[in-house]
Amino acid sequence: MVDFSLWDIVRNLLLAARWTVLLSLTAFVGGGLVGLGLLIARIARWPGADRAVGAYVQVFQGTPLLMQLFLAYFGLALLGWNVSAWVAAALALTLYTSAFLCEIWRGCVLAIPKGQWEASASLALSLGEQLRHVIGPQALKIAVPPTVGFLVQVVKGTALASVIGFIELTKAGTMITNATFRPFTVYACVAALYFALCFPISLWSRRLERKLHRG
Amino acid sequence: MAEAPIVQIRALRKSFGANEVLKGIDLSVARGEVVALIGRSGSGKSTLLRCINGLETFQAGDLAVDGQALRHGHAAAMRELRQHVGMVFQSFNLFPHLSVGRNIMLAPGLVKGRAQAEGEARARTLLERVGLADKFDAWPDQLSGGQQQRVAIARALAMDPAVLLCDEITSALDPELVGEVLKVVESLADEGMTLLMVTHEMGFARKVADRVVFMHAGRIHEMGPPAELFERPQTPELQQFLSALH
Repeated sequence: MVDFSLWDIVRNLLLAARWTVLLSLTAFVGGGLVGLGLLIARIARWPGADRAVGAYVQVFQGTPLLMQLFLAYFGLALLGWNVSAWVAAALALTLYTSAFLCEIWRGCVLAIPKGQWEASASLALSLGEQLRHVIGPQALKIAVPPTVGFLVQVVKGTALASVIGFIELTKAGTMITNATFRPFTVYACVAALYFALCFPISLWSRRLERKLHRG
Repeated sequence: MAEAPIVQIRALRKSFGANEVLKGIDLSVARGEVVALIGRSGSGKSTLLRCINGLETFQAGDLAVDGQALRHGHAAAMRELRQHVGMVFQSFNLFPHLSVGRNIMLAPGLVKGRAQAEGEARARTLLERVGLADKFDAWPDQLSGGQQQRVAIARALAMDPAVLLCDEITSALDPELVGEVLKVVESLADEGMTLLMVTHEMGFARKVADRVVFMHAGRIHEMGPPAELFERPQTPELQQFLSALH
């Protein structure tokens, strides 16, 4: 029997953790862009956008991320698109993230006093200028803590991508367990690696919050 | 021939749901005229003011500023119209994330394409005019209410409006700060600025306004020069309103 040292375990987990990071970044950047687009469509009152975006958000908030991953993976296959686990996971997590960020940021925009909208409208600013120069900068300030908090959720949420066979940190942990028969050691390492990813983000959020409060 | 009015309102009606708050308003304001709108809260005076720059939509009637008709839902027309109408609010509404100078320079830079240096020079001139020459780099939350409101006036003036709307601009101020803001408004009136103001400061309305409009239950109930209106109110509603103030 092959003997696995602790370093063997950690090294393989670290290699897999790159995919967790990449999947998180993809979900966050993609979800951020889609979420921002949806939010603007809603704020600009495009015909039907309010209802459509509201329904979109409800669907993704009201169903488990696990089901969304299954549907992306098996559903697209049913439609004749054979997508890889990576594409399915990236797609599902992007849509999921976009729904939550859209709603989080909408709350931040709604928190800006109505007088700011009225004053900037009275000065003949267009909607785009209002968002870019008056509402956006103020909403951004209050958006940082909940946004970063959600980023941590996304990092941990990528673990679910393991069920459709995408080899990220959690899936790698399962595979290594099957080879080493040391589940406690392996999953403790997996948990430690998630913590190592998430904790700095939380710290950074707190620093940013303090900085924005002062400025 | 008389000059065309700056603000022309004809048969304007406005409802919030089933509640009609403006029931047919006719009013025209001449260039350089100072008009004070008075009346009980709920009489529709603030709503009327907010209709003039399109912050409120109305259901019937016409409204034109500087010969330009107000067209709701028409972004380019609204942008054009709003460049002719300045507004100052009860709650100042300065942009808290911008310095005083930037507050004033923002809209002229974006909307009128005014160059940075020119905008800054203009902002400094306007701040001097409202007595805040040294506050260019200050932040709004470092200023008193009276100072913030004077910045708000400077911000509105930076767009070179043909008419300035003042919506109870001293109501949120501590009593000792009211005077400094009214002094600025009075100087604007003296310089020939067209002003439409909703106010509870009757002494001020009397002193500065060319015409006082008393609104009651969504209509213009009585209108005339201040001396006449305050000395000899014709309707029982105005008599009651004025006596309630003493």
